[in-house]
Amino acid sequence: MPTARPIPSSTRPTRFGTLLLVLLAALAGARPSPVTAAGKTTLVLGIDISDSRTFDPARQFEYSPPTTMRAAYETLVTMTPGDYVHVKPLLAKSWKLVDGGKAWQFQLREGVKFASGNPLTAEDVKFSFERLINVKDQPAEIAENIASVEVVDPLTVKLVMADKSQPLLNILSSVTFAVYDSKTVKAQGGTSGKDAEKADKATAWLDQHSAGTGPYVLTSWVRNSELVLERNKGYWRAPAAFERVVIRHSSDSAAQLLALRRGDLDAAFNLTPDQLNGLGRDASLRIVSTTSLDFLYMTVTSGAELNKALGTRAARQALAHAIDYDGIIKGLMAGQATRPATFIPVGLDGSTEALTKEIGYREDLPLAKKLLTEAGLAGGFSFKLTYAKAAIAGTSYDVVAQKIQSDLARVGITAELDPMDQTTLRTQYKEGKSQSVLTFWNPDAPEPYLWAAASIQRVAKRVRWTVPKELTDLVTRAGGEPDPAKQAGYYREYQKALVDQANYIMLVQPVFRVATSRTVSDFDLTAAGWVVDLYDVKPAE
Amino acid sequence: MALRYVLKRVVACVLMALAATLVVFLVAHTVPADPVLAQLGDKASANPETVARFRTRWGLDRPLWQQYAIFLAGLARGDLGESIASRRPVMDDVRQYAPATIELSTLAAFLTALVGVPLGVLAAVRRDRLADHLVRLLCLFGVSAPTFWLAFLALALFYGGLEIAPSPGRLDAGAVPPPHVTGLFLADSLLARNWATFRAALAHMILPAVVLAASTVGLVTRTTRASLLETLGQDYVRTARAKGVAEALVVRRHALRNALLPVVTLGGLAYAELLAGTVLTETIFSWPGLGRYTYQSAVALDFPAILGMTFLVAAVYLVMSLIVDLSYVVLDPRVVRR
Repeated sequence: MPTARPIPSSTRPTRFGTLLLVLLAALAGARPSPVTAAGKTTLVLGIDISDSRTFDPARQFEYSPPTTMRAAYETLVTMTPGDYVHVKPLLAKSWKLVDGGKAWQFQLREGVKFASGNPLTAEDVKFSFERLINVKDQPAEIAENIASVEVVDPLTVKLVMADKSQPLLNILSSVTFAVYDSKTVKAQGGTSGKDAEKADKATAWLDQHSAGTGPYVLTSWVRNSELVLERNKGYWRAPAAFERVVIRHSSDSAAQLLALRRGDLDAAFNLTPDQLNGLGRDASLRIVSTTSLDFLYMTVTSGAELNKALGTRAARQALAHAIDYDGIIKGLMAGQATRPATFIPVGLDGSTEALTKEIGYREDLPLAKKLLTEAGLAGGFSFKLTYAKAAIAGTSYDVVAQKIQSDLARVGITAELDPMDQTTLRTQYKEGKSQSVLTFWNPDAPEPYLWAAASIQRVAKRVRWTVPKELTDLVTRAGGEPDPAKQAGYYREYQKALVDQANYIMLVQPVFRVATSRTVSDFDLTAAGWVVDLYDVKPAE
Repeated sequence: MALRYVLKRVVACVLMALAATLVVFLVAHTVPADPVLAQLGDKASANPETVARFRTRWGLDRPLWQQYAIFLAGLARGDLGESIASRRPVMDDVRQYAPATIELSTLAAFLTALVGVPLGVLAAVRRDRLADHLVRLLCLFGVSAPTFWLAFLALALFYGGLEIAPSPGRLDAGAVPPPHVTGLFLADSLLARNWATFRAALAHMILPAVVLAASTVGLVTRTTRASLLETLGQDYVRTARAKGVAEALVVRRHALRNALLPVVTLGGLAYAELLAGTVLTETIFSWPGLGRYTYQSAVALDFPAILGMTFLVAAVYLVMSLIVDLSYVVLDPRVVRR
């Protein structure tokens, strides 16, 4: 082998060095100027928006878009942060039940204009809701109680219900019931006719623009990248505080945190509990929070053919009493969660933390052992606990499942952990083939009936529970009851029955937490579906 | 002869790309999961009417062979079908996400060649000396460091700590992208003569490109080193040295040119790999590219998107290897004679 000698320095490495210098210069040159609070005109939010697939109100049904939708569109009625029992006026200034309780009649606010300048009329409400129903996309499911929409006069509209014993009013606060400018949407190929499923062509336009009365107007959306909202200059209330709102896509929480710290973001929506807890020392940031209406729960089948032990009610109850609920909330969720008694989240009519204490499950190992003996299973039993590779408020299901496994081991119950991908799990679970599943529920609209009905209908099938007729009647009665106090009473009875049945074990109802810069204020979170009403947010004084 | 060779290779490429889609199609359909449940919410998926309508709308109610035949028929027209998740033509999705990926991986490939080859040469000529050891250690680090870790480390250091790198994403928040011509921000901003946007786009690209290049640099350096060492031991190199040719010239003109053949092969495939997408780097740098799109399509069982991406990725790999093969004709004229 010849001895190699060094190559002279006049070759490539120098040219490479020059290029590298040029690149570094470009890198350093593009350093953004620091954001100052004074004269702040743009609000920048960091959110994982990879689930966004459309911003057409008749088609949108994902988790992150409602924050944007709510800024661009308004609904007849709304809900204020923290109160999910009483609806508040928005585009409608008053409403009443008419036609013997068969229809809701709304009096629209005068002088409201769409961003296009066209005035809001009852015709627009009719067009929006009929399009929603006839496009027959997913959101139409929650409009099933609207039989027809009638224009009474230019500012009065009537919604005739398909079933007056079922609720409608609370559901109308969902962004799905956005009212849009029928003239603009028609001009973009929109139609509300019976053939809308095939004939409507407005979605592509609505994905890049908005046609609502909201304080901001959607001006662009680049998938997996960012979307931009601009101030609606003709807004019917005082104009919005920012000229522009930019929602920046970021699906990595650590990157979100860095950007928030650098001042490139004014708020970070997807931080983990650890990251949020570590923010305490940073004086330039604050954490805003509100209890969500989401929950993580565990289903337990009644099907003895799937698991003989779980087929007995006492065994399921024993399981429910062997879980260390406080340990999950304090240890795994950093205390940032609560827990409902059963299938109605705390905050909705009929569900409170006090009720959970009164009738919900509590960790009670002697009771669990006694129940096991009653069931003839003093030696314990084993079952399969299935869950998806997912996380709730930054805590992975893996961790929760392991905690449950070790809790149950104390009374001799063996949980075999069975993680799988989300779609496979849903397929198996929906067909009622799972013994026990750790899964998540998030709201379509803040109406307790939607939860209650699901729990005794489609979800009951998945856990192979044959629901007694008295319970079905009770839920129907609760749904149709206009008086909140009476309704809460019915729901209380319903929840007692569910707790006794022990097919659903509620684990965690997380607190939404968003870290914001102190350069912005009035960042009031809501659990009603849209996380924050961007109209409220202002530059800090 | 040469034309026939090229034609044969192209036909083989297309057939192989199709075979890849068939395999992926069959595998995707054997997964015990229902794509409807990946797309519909809880309430909608419990309504048999909605589910039936959804299946009909996306052709999921047809027999498997028909679904595949529909894909092939579309492909023949240059149509990759419509994505179930994004509800628009897969081609539109590709048109949107591909430029971000092409731009980034091209810069990464450029950096790789720029850094990897000289380092490999340096290591070879300084074999077993300090420079060689350092280079090899660096390669080991580049190849073995997990991408997500490296990506985050780079971001935390240069963006969060030193504050010299710009925010994740292709441009700053709310910045107006250059007028769309190619979708490549560098090219489009140059066409529009918008230097500020060009600089910003380049600055946003450097950090992710360096992270991407880290692993490929290691590969290229190692291959260059090994191949150059082998060539330097050849008889004709000894002859050149015996003739009194300067060592720099021996390395550059006599040895390196031949030594680069395996590097070109590897480089071509590495570039194809970068183009096929890099989910983790894209996630951390909020880069709206094909990697994340492909990943999202796969977990959502978005069959048209999965098939379309498989076809494209297979095509990219095959075209790259075709280019590599053809480039031998230039780099090593003996290939043609053989």
